[in-house]
Amino acid sequence: MSLRKILVLDGVTAVCRFRDDGVVMEAEGMLPADLLERLAKFAQWYRRMVSGNTDILSLFSQMRGWSPSQGWIVKGVAMTVCSVGNTVCLVDNSQGSLNQIMRALGEAAHE
Amino acid sequence: MNLDKMMDLPGAMAAFTYSDRGDLQSQVLREGTELTPQVLDLLAHSCVANLAIASMEARGWEAVTGQGGFQPLKGFSVVGLEWSVVVNGNCGVVVKNRDADYEATFNALQAA
Amino acid sequence: MNIVKQLMAIPGVIAAGEYAFRGDRYSYEGALTDEFARMASILCRANTLSVNMQSEIFDSFAENCGCRPVQGWIARGNQITICAVGNYFAFIENRDELLNDVMTIMRAKVGDIRDDLLANLYAKLGGDTKEALY
Repeated sequence: MSLRKILVLDGVTAVCRFRDDGVVMEAEGMLPADLLERLAKFAQWYRRMVSGNTDILSLFSQMRGWSPSQGWIVKGVAMTVCSVGNTVCLVDNSQGSLNQIMRALGEAAHE
Repeated sequence: MNLDKMMDLPGAMAAFTYSDRGDLQSQVLREGTELTPQVLDLLAHSCVANLAIASMEARGWEAVTGQGGFQPLKGFSVVGLEWSVVVNGNCGVVVKNRDADYEATFNALQAA
Repeated sequence: MNIVKQLMAIPGVIAAGEYAFRGDRYSYEGALTDEFARMASILCRANTLSVNMQSEIFDSFAENCGCRPVQGWIARGNQITICAVGNYFAFIENRDELLNDVMTIMRAKVGDIRDDLLANLYAKLGGDTKEALY
């Protein structure tokens, strides 16, 4: 799924695909370049952090189903940042469906 | 919590207290330091997170391995290039690495 | 002398070893089983990545404030402390002066960690930093 198709979803204000070192590979939406870079770096670190947390949780709980981690969501009062794999997007909370957006991000991440 | 006394620790550049959620409550800064209350507030939030994660790890480790001696946690420190932050409970100290005495700092944070 | 061997020669050091950024590459000496050492390496990796992320965030708000690049971290337990510098870790008893000694040795022997965390960690135990996680 191309990033354009994610951008047109209700609520999505910006979406980007990032590399393993946090560099932006492609992006859609009205976010200045420097903020996009920061978003990508932030998303990459968060992915590593969440992956670390799920590894530890798996270790201690002995439960299947935590690792490997798939993504994360940070819900703010008006905006949400969510990510699956190596795609991340900014969402306006007043519109759209997080479920739909996460599904779309999942399809885009695995391409 | 006597922050002025914390500032007597070797290498101390700042001493601060924070709420359980990481909001900065009070601070003492060494004159000339680049640290600001805003940076200390960020630091406090990350330290609360680190203490929580380390406590979780201590608990899980003892449960899975049967080894004791980790709980209850007595503090956490992030070692930067030039300075370290040492925290326990609701109090933290930032110390310059070249003068840092980790043990004295951890001990002082227990007594507080 | 190898860092791990040097640490293990100090009374009160329970175990010491190296951990990798990804995967199960690790090595250790001391009072840990293979499985515990593997768990310890996962814990160390997670914490190291976490504090590195935090320092990047601080740096974007207060450049050159002296925290980047992160060198390591310490978790002080009730009777046992874990310290990590670079990709080395040590489990030590909480006896007088031991933590300071261990940290001094680890910082001196490991040297200053450069900014590229991935490259640094991989350089020790092998691996490709460009390899995608997905």
